[in-house]
Amino acid sequence: MNAKNTCPEYAARLRTASDLINKVNYEIKRGSLARKKLVWLELTGCSGNIISLLDGSNPGFKYLVSMMCDLIFSNSLMASEGEAAMERLFGIPDNEFILAVEGAVSTRNNGLYNVIGRFRGEPVTALKAIRILGERASHVIAVGACASHGGTSAAKPNPARCVGIQSLLKRRVIKLPGCPCHPDWFLGTLAHILLYGEPELDDRDRPLLFYSTLIHDRCPRRSFFDQGIFAKKLGESTCMFKLGCRGPVTRIDCPIRKWNQYVNWPIGDDTPCIGCAQFGFPDQMEPFITYNTTRGVRK
Amino acid sequence: MNGHDNDVSRRILKLAAESEYCLDLYCWTPCIYKKNVILNQLRYKLREIAYLSNFVCLKASPVQGCFAEDPDQNEKVFTPEDLAKFNGLDGNPAYVAVNGMVYDVTNNAAWAAASHFGLQAGKDLTNEFASCHAGQPILSKLKAVGKLVR
Repeated sequence: MNAKNTCPEYAARLRTASDLINKVNYEIKRGSLARKKLVWLELTGCSGNIISLLDGSNPGFKYLVSMMCDLIFSNSLMASEGEAAMERLFGIPDNEFILAVEGAVSTRNNGLYNVIGRFRGEPVTALKAIRILGERASHVIAVGACASHGGTSAAKPNPARCVGIQSLLKRRVIKLPGCPCHPDWFLGTLAHILLYGEPELDDRDRPLLFYSTLIHDRCPRRSFFDQGIFAKKLGESTCMFKLGCRGPVTRIDCPIRKWNQYVNWPIGDDTPCIGCAQFGFPDQMEPFITYNTTRGVRK
Repeated sequence: MNGHDNDVSRRILKLAAESEYCLDLYCWTPCIYKKNVILNQLRYKLREIAYLSNFVCLKASPVQGCFAEDPDQNEKVFTPEDLAKFNGLDGNPAYVAVNGMVYDVTNNAAWAAASHFGLQAGKDLTNEFASCHAGQPILSKLKAVGKLVR
């Protein structure tokens, strides 16, 4: 979508994250807002969300760690290692940090399927880490599908018995499902927490800022759906409903925000939405693509 | 061909020319919203062309439309085995049963590829519906095609 020729509402939506972050920047420079500590915990997943965050451009990751927050722990990015890193993680005072979690929690064999480090000679499982830090943080954000609801880590047959972090915590967890989470969804939510506290959430604890509308309702190919003009194979520029597009059941703003620094998104590249930002992904969003369907209905 | 038919032919040719113009406009317009407006215009023109063509064809050969409504459709009775055939695969329509009624979800947006949150069409989904959609006005919006008997 060309930002210069777009609808004002869409243009404003595209700026939600950056507007919030600019406000944070302004308030911090004025001295009316203090930077807060951020812990980024990687549990049972693929580290895709931290990679996605590093791809953020509005602002970039450098801005996040230098201007908005004090990044206390991220096992992928921090300089400390081993015992020193664990000291830093568990030495953080209660209620003074925001906890961002990516990856599900392996629960089998008391969590031993995923050990994230050793502390004072004892293995620290993902299960133990989330139980301790999840109760101590001021806010908990589940970043990506796995942390939000189990996601790919909990896909059948789920040998490690992975679960989303909410099922292990007796507190509200802000959920940002997506595989991966868009940098703007996380940074915008974080900025909102810093400025105003918890953003308005839907009944499944997703920020309405980003998760209020179905992909289907903003899809540039919606008119094809309404008229029953369906793609028969990948590469066609009509509605991919018959190929298995999950846009009609997925609430997220991909049609506006797009990916890879607002360049494109799956449907813009003739690929159906696979519902990665919907609860139940991936098992309940399958089949991702099918050609054997109701196309050419016989009477 | 009488004068009336000439008028119809001229109108079809005009609509075709206007459609060509719309297509050019569509290609040159960067704004996605204007594109949608143009697509809507194209849709109306195509509808009119289809209507006029049908009018001419019907005059030449008055046949019944392929999609004539079956007045007894809601009285159709499906056994679970019958229903299983309407699974949305191999070109078949996608039907599901809820509370003894059979509904057509072939073109329902939430049933892409005849599946919905891991459920496949062609089955009695009464329990699944109750666990997720109890109290929601969903069934009234679906087309009922018959009854399920056991």
